[in-house]
Amino acid sequence: MRTGFLAGVIVGLSIGSAQAEDAVKVGVVQSLNGPPAITDFGDSYLQGIKLALKDYQASGAKTKIELVVYDDEANPQRAVSVVQRLIQNDQSPVVIGTVASGNTLAFAPILQKAEIPLVAGPSIATNITAQFIDQKPSYIFRCSMVEKFQIDAILDWAAKTFEKVGLIHSTTGYGMASKTEIENGMKARGKALVGIEAVAPGVNDLTPQVIKMRDAGAELLLDFHESFELVYRPMARLNYHPRVAGNWGLSSLKVADIVGRDAIEGTVMGQALDLGSPRTKQFDERMRKEYGSEYRWPVVAALGYDAGQIVFKAVDKVGKSDPKAIRDAIESIDGVSAISATPARPFSPTDHECLDKQDVFLGVWKSGDVIRMN
Amino acid sequence: MSMTNILQLLVSGFAMGAIYTLTAKGLFITHLATGKLNFGQGDFLMVGAFLMMGLLLSGLSPLLAVVAVLAAMALLGYLLERVAVRPLERSGDQTGGYAWVLTTAAIALILQNVVELIWGKSAQYSPPLFSSKRDSVIEVFGIGIFAEEAAIIALALVIVVAFYFFLFKTRWGKAVYAVAFNREAAALFGINVRGTIVLVFVVSALLAGVSGTLVGPLVSVNPYMGLVFTIKALAVASIGGFDNPLGILAGGLLFGIAEAFSNYWDSSFGDLYPLLAVLVLLAVKPAGLFGARAADVR
Amino acid sequence: MRRLAKYLMLAAVIAVLPKLAPNAYYIHVGQVFAYTAIAVIGLNILLGLSGQMSMGQSGFYALGAYGSAILATTYQWPLFPAMLAGLAIAALSGVLVGLIALRTRGLYLAMATLAFGFVVEILAQRWVSLTGGTMGLMSVPQIDYGSFKMGPTYFFWTAAGLLLLVQIGSDYVFGSALGRRLRAIKESEAFAATTGLNVPMWRIVVFAASAMLAGLSGILFAHMDGYISSDAFNIRLTISLLIATVIGGLGFSYGPLLGTAILLGVAEILASLPDVGQIIYGGILLFVLLLFPEGAIGLVRRILRSKPATKKSAVPKALYVSPEKPPPATLSIEGLTKTYAGVTALKDVSLSIKPGTVHALIGPNGAGKSTFINVVAGLYRADAGRIVLDGKDITTTAAHSRARMGIVRTFQNLQLIDGVDVLSNVMLGLSPRQGPLRDFGEWLAGTKHEAAERARAHSLLDSLGLAHLADRHPRNLSYGHRKLVELARAMAQAPAVLLLDEPVAGLTPEEAREIADVVGLLRGSGVAVLLVEHNMDFVMNISDTVTVLDFGHLIAAGEPSAVQGNPLVRQVYLGTGELAS
Repeated sequence: MRTGFLAGVIVGLSIGSAQAEDAVKVGVVQSLNGPPAITDFGDSYLQGIKLALKDYQASGAKTKIELVVYDDEANPQRAVSVVQRLIQNDQSPVVIGTVASGNTLAFAPILQKAEIPLVAGPSIATNITAQFIDQKPSYIFRCSMVEKFQIDAILDWAAKTFEKVGLIHSTTGYGMASKTEIENGMKARGKALVGIEAVAPGVNDLTPQVIKMRDAGAELLLDFHESFELVYRPMARLNYHPRVAGNWGLSSLKVADIVGRDAIEGTVMGQALDLGSPRTKQFDERMRKEYGSEYRWPVVAALGYDAGQIVFKAVDKVGKSDPKAIRDAIESIDGVSAISATPARPFSPTDHECLDKQDVFLGVWKSGDVIRMN
Repeated sequence: MSMTNILQLLVSGFAMGAIYTLTAKGLFITHLATGKLNFGQGDFLMVGAFLMMGLLLSGLSPLLAVVAVLAAMALLGYLLERVAVRPLERSGDQTGGYAWVLTTAAIALILQNVVELIWGKSAQYSPPLFSSKRDSVIEVFGIGIFAEEAAIIALALVIVVAFYFFLFKTRWGKAVYAVAFNREAAALFGINVRGTIVLVFVVSALLAGVSGTLVGPLVSVNPYMGLVFTIKALAVASIGGFDNPLGILAGGLLFGIAEAFSNYWDSSFGDLYPLLAVLVLLAVKPAGLFGARAADVR
Repeated sequence: MRRLAKYLMLAAVIAVLPKLAPNAYYIHVGQVFAYTAIAVIGLNILLGLSGQMSMGQSGFYALGAYGSAILATTYQWPLFPAMLAGLAIAALSGVLVGLIALRTRGLYLAMATLAFGFVVEILAQRWVSLTGGTMGLMSVPQIDYGSFKMGPTYFFWTAAGLLLLVQIGSDYVFGSALGRRLRAIKESEAFAATTGLNVPMWRIVVFAASAMLAGLSGILFAHMDGYISSDAFNIRLTISLLIATVIGGLGFSYGPLLGTAILLGVAEILASLPDVGQIIYGGILLFVLLLFPEGAIGLVRRILRSKPATKKSAVPKALYVSPEKPPPATLSIEGLTKTYAGVTALKDVSLSIKPGTVHALIGPNGAGKSTFINVVAGLYRADAGRIVLDGKDITTTAAHSRARMGIVRTFQNLQLIDGVDVLSNVMLGLSPRQGPLRDFGEWLAGTKHEAAERARAHSLLDSLGLAHLADRHPRNLSYGHRKLVELARAMAQAPAVLLLDEPVAGLTPEEAREIADVVGLLRGSGVAVLLVEHNMDFVMNISDTVTVLDFGHLIAAGEPSAVQGNPLVRQVYLGTGELAS
């Protein structure tokens, strides 16, 4: 009896120590240094992933997981370099990242070819997953907002609520792509924009563009510029207060801070996180406790958390550093209790998106909080 | 385009132009005296803005806050000269003729990171100086001017005039020119060369700091904002001529207005036209609009 | 054969490196190192040797990259011609920007090139139909020679091989007359022109070469991963290249390799320290530059200082066969007038210098003597009058062409080039004796490169008693010695007409006598000498004719004794009153 017990302990310890030695290295690429328009995304997503790791470790799961985090400095060449480093040097069997869609598009083909699964996020370009979905199998997943879905939701509401809609967009790839989507979307709904203005990088004062919007009589202003707060600034001096709608960036707490409660009241954005629900409230509080004032973007952090959850669960199911098996585990994962609107079974062989069209809704700022708009 | 719009664009253009002018003045004065300038001048502006924001948010009165920020910036200017510029002089002109570009840029990088660690990487809310409400707008002839905009335009004009007076009418100003022309001779004349050099770097930092205190409510305040200002200050100094204090005022206001109108007429290339104009200008007038072209013949 | 052997060995190292890499990631780093260093070498030559500040290298990089990528992807060109086209585009843009650089200097040039870089970046970002903007161009053909597995290694060999060739080129430039001449242009364009260098041409060529290297770097980058996006071509790229150049060692041929290694090495270390990465980066920059303002190469040299200097202390014995010596010629100046900003520096001055004579030009301060030399040398353009050399009108000929015709001058404020040693200063006066290819071949072969030139320069220094100073730098010499070096350099140019601007000012009587001897020898060999001087003993003893200027006007001319006795001359020099003879 005692020998058996002793033998069992020895065997158990040796198995445990063997597993402790090879922790699975989950690679994370995010933009952590650069303009706030980008680092806000990168930091927030990473905050979610880290909290998910904490929860995973606290749950007593068997497989040891280690995060290897690299900063891609918002530069596609650097992004490719660090992904190469993750694949070749760190032997990561799975990668999560990054912010700029251009960067993700730069390394996604590399990961696909190397047969290593990627959970893209928070990049939102539609073709990140679309490009690879027909491959058998596709290694590219995404756990983030999909640009097309939130634009569709916004335009559906805008087209029936307003006569005159204007657009201010940035000249980055994201801004330009959004512009095309919005123009096409409006046309498909039988409407036209009364004004379209672009904002170049480094331009701090949007007075010229907002003057044009005011003169065109825009009642709704679509704000698709990464520094969301810039659009609001000239409104005070021009005495022009249209309704504002834009992508999920407008739900950032920092933006509300800068713009001010009164000015941001009524602003609408694409959302995937209902702060009204108790689960979300609990998550919100935990993030605040964990990160203090560094926590500034609930929806992005929530998606990061969910991406982390999914990846860690899949890795645990496989139990070792096996990229092919992990890919399959991710694709077939079920029972995810997501914070964001991600469903319990997010993926299938034909759908590699966490969020589908029906999971994206519109949020609105009301008395200092973003709630679901009905 | 209506008159109101033109006036409105002029005002916002002048305001941004005034910021560029003040920043560029700092580059001008150090370049005049030493041939070097602070490649982190925009980041000094950023530090000024953050310090101002921090002090105002903690409840300090605007006046006291400005004084505190200027004192801090003066210290930074001294440190810059001491750490990033002076040590390079011992090896003479031959080697490292451009090392100061990188040492000043290195200080800027460090400042950026320090600010990020203290305040985070996001854009920040910077309270207005002249009112307790969110936006202090003055309505004149149907156009809206932010109080800070009016202040910075006024300040830029005052400072340019003060500079002119300082450089050409006071002893210290003449000392700057003497040191610029020939350091050894200036020393032999009893001019405190080292003191003059420290002075110009402190003044340069103060100019960046002054812009920083007013700029917060007008632009997006984040640790990354400095580089754009450095580049625009360089552009302004190039347009006006690195050696001409009035030229820099002209250059700054012109650039600011060019930006505003360029963005109005074609916002998708709003940043291209001013830069293209600078390029063409320098091709045609190689030392800026008002700069003196040195003949390279003995 | 030492050099060639060294390069062959480096080639062998490149061939073997991929096998030694612990994993494919190191090959990737090697690839990035190879193409980045190429751009840095270009910037090093541009900024370090020719002194032209360009903050627009990212523009040339982008033009090369997009030129090649767009042709190869959208227009389906074969890879190699697309790459060549990309190079051509980069070179052409280098010429255009170089034209701007002819007129602008220093920080203005920095701003102009900065603006250029931004313009290219903006166009790359917004002209989406052509470049794909920030979303980028996909499926760009890669340099992998069709093999997926060995692709990265083949790319590395290609890039590193090109780097080796570029480095050889750089070593050649630094170690030959090219480098010497570029340093001369950097320090004094006026001087460079008077040694026969077409300065604008040189400046543009260097700009274009540096642009081409940046473009080559961009081309390799574009065809490495099969994807390019406009996000890669921004000012941070330019700043990185500048950092690599300066921190490695500006103006040293191996600086770029060292600098690129530091740049990439630091980036790799900081990749896992995103929060304080910039503080560390800034700290490293400060630390290296404060300790070694000349760059990290300073550290390397300090370590290598334990080895004895392998300087060419032995006097090479080789015969210098000078190229066609210009035949003796008469220089006639007729009615020369020059005004600046309202001041008439010269008014209707005429004189003529025959071969084998010394013609002195004297006058009180401000008389216009130096202006006269500058106009004759071609550095200033005359407002009226003619300059005729041996019957040919050269009034509007460029300074460097006049130098090649045999008009040589010295400078009143000495224009010695501090960036090179005394021997090289004298060698700057020698015109190339053979074509560039043969010179390169000789250089590659080893130490006999430029032996004849060095021998000639050495003998010139020797004739002036300066042989022992050949290895020093001009700033370490006494004033008198520097004047003699300037004279040696003028002699090296094998003048037909020699314009001496105050050759004995500040010299001791003993030294002045030496110069008088040299001038006498030159006169004896048929050179026409124009002498501007204040030292009357020197002038009167050595001149055949004397012309006197006062406020730009010719007031007397003739034999020395006649001029000395001329009452007008005395009045002009001493005021009214008799001069005790």
